[in-house]
Amino acid sequence: MLEKTQGRRTAIAAAFLALTLGGGASAEGAAVKVGFAADLTGACAALAEDGLNGATLAAAELNDAGGILGRPVELIVRDTQTKPDEGAKVARELITDEAIDVLTGVCSSAVMLAESAVSKELKTPFYAAIGSTQRANIELFQPYFWQVQANATMEAYAAAEYVAKKADWKRISTLGSDYEWGHTSVAAFTERLKELHPDVEFADPIYAKVGETAMAPYITATLAQRPDAVYAPLFGPSLSAVLKQGQGFGFFQRSALVTLMTVDTLQSQGAAMPDDNVFGIARAPFFALEQTPEVTAFIDSYRAAFGEYPTDWAISAYDGLKFYAAAAEHAGTVEAEPLIAAVGEITYDGLRERGLRVRALDGQMNAPSYVGKASRVEGYAFPILTEVEKFDGAPLMPAEEFILKARAAAQ
Amino acid sequence: MILIQLVNGLMEGMTLFLIASGLTLIFGVTRIINFAHGSLFMLGAFVTYELVPLIGPGTLWGFFAAVLLAGLAVSLLGMLFEMLALRRIYGADGLMQLIVTVALVLILRDVVRMIWGPNSLSVPMPDRLMGALQIGDSYFPLFPIAVFLAGLVVVVAMIWVIYFTRAGILLRAGTDDRGMVALCGVNERLIFTAVFAAGAFLAGLAGGLAAPYGEVNHLLDTTVIVSAFIVCVIGGLGNLYGALAGALLVGLTKAIGVMYFPRLSMVLIFLIMALILIARSMGRQGGTAR
Repeated sequence: MLEKTQGRRTAIAAAFLALTLGGGASAEGAAVKVGFAADLTGACAALAEDGLNGATLAAAELNDAGGILGRPVELIVRDTQTKPDEGAKVARELITDEAIDVLTGVCSSAVMLAESAVSKELKTPFYAAIGSTQRANIELFQPYFWQVQANATMEAYAAAEYVAKKADWKRISTLGSDYEWGHTSVAAFTERLKELHPDVEFADPIYAKVGETAMAPYITATLAQRPDAVYAPLFGPSLSAVLKQGQGFGFFQRSALVTLMTVDTLQSQGAAMPDDNVFGIARAPFFALEQTPEVTAFIDSYRAAFGEYPTDWAISAYDGLKFYAAAAEHAGTVEAEPLIAAVGEITYDGLRERGLRVRALDGQMNAPSYVGKASRVEGYAFPILTEVEKFDGAPLMPAEEFILKARAAAQ
Repeated sequence: MILIQLVNGLMEGMTLFLIASGLTLIFGVTRIINFAHGSLFMLGAFVTYELVPLIGPGTLWGFFAAVLLAGLAVSLLGMLFEMLALRRIYGADGLMQLIVTVALVLILRDVVRMIWGPNSLSVPMPDRLMGALQIGDSYFPLFPIAVFLAGLVVVVAMIWVIYFTRAGILLRAGTDDRGMVALCGVNERLIFTAVFAAGAFLAGLAGGLAAPYGEVNHLLDTTVIVSAFIVCVIGGLGNLYGALAGALLVGLTKAIGVMYFPRLSMVLIFLIMALILIARSMGRQGGTAR
């Protein structure tokens, strides 16, 4: 039932796009099939749907401009239910039965690693545009994989770079989600900030169960450490809970909060966002991108098609598919081996940045991260980030020795 | 700090109690384990989201009126569900209960997703409850204190109904011996429907009260049902006072645990649950308010 609704909504959006964008050169021949195995139900549903919208728009634009290698692009959508085993199953089905040329769409780290294993086994190109576990780049890297946005470690490094610039933040607490992402983020952030600013004092890290919504005890424990700033790799319900419940503890008068703050989070917070002292890390905040004609055209057509602003996930999924198309054009084919070689060779000008490249060593794109202050600004119905600093991807990418050492240790 | 954590624990415990009390009440009388209880909670939160901007936005009375109405709306739905589906399976085995109530979970989740979409929504707090009570160096947040007080009102009202009204006598009689109640000429079906409606009301109320303190989304159902079951297992399913004790115990354990054993605070709750199950051994007979 869900899948059906989803399919129908996508179909409506695609039809709409065909109408608005149609009229250009039309592509012919057998379609280039993009398997979109996404977490459309379950914890990742909202992110995955935005990703699907972004990819749908990219596919429509590609088709309008003659497709990939003159062949039309076709998205084949499947729901993984945010379950690793289901993800592996639909990935396998897409590759063997639908004969897709490339696999993408995934959001959850666990599902992403499961799909990556299938991509490796069946030698099918696979890229991530929402999920960001660095394990896919480091320990579990496989040659058919690439990542088109900053991975979790790079994001934590960007946060550390930002915090290091604030001279009056001398005592730092960390409050993370109690699973792999929370722990690696806290570790990477602490390591980088110590290097940049050796005088900073760190309190003992505090971790809250994944999906925890009663955050009051954790807030109290964190504030008892008397921090100047709290780095909090939390998301979804736990993050909203900190933003809302923290206000009753005077959190934002007593400390700054540095956390993940993508456009969807900004939107869902709305009026509940504290007035001051919240700093957000984002991947592709549409309002902070360099407003090139491509970016403004994208925002306009996205709003026309889906009736809302594009989130970070929509933008990275859009960039992801356009990057794939560029690699295929460069390779002159969608065959796996030459395509993967092209992925490592091309330079691509995306919505987020010009000169995006994928490093062959770990399949990591030099995608930027953004950190800014959450503020209410005239003209938007939801808070946005202001005083945004962009952190280029390349300096944040883990060094080669680090990766090789981590891989050796994992063996 | 320990004082604030105690307050935090009590406040979380009260929210848990509001959820678990409905579950336990329904089980006590009808012997149905209502897996859809979390879904009713979720629905209460979504209905509150719709009503809050309509009724005196930002005001205290507006918020509580919205929550009350949300509880009533969910109660109505619960009543309908009982009359259309549950009523037919009281005699059937446990598996049938599971299938019917889980079906409701799946249906409600899809319906909620269709109406409100997959994105998380935010319910604004009433203006007067936004801040904190500052005593010396300590902050006590106002909103959860208000929820705690509202919870107390519900507890007192429940005790009054169960012990001092005719409906309460029938309810206790129904828990003890359904057959005998029916033989006395009381419409047993009416009791069941009323109890299910009351349980659904409590779930909807809890959902509405909790809504401004976190985010509202279509995944709330499963998040909530697990903690409600933990509370009920600790307190004894069907035992109202047990649910109250269990809820406060879980809330306090978590709050104090975070201070002293930050790595163990989650495990601690399950440990207590396991110990209670072992100590109390098999065959605990639940019973509402005995």
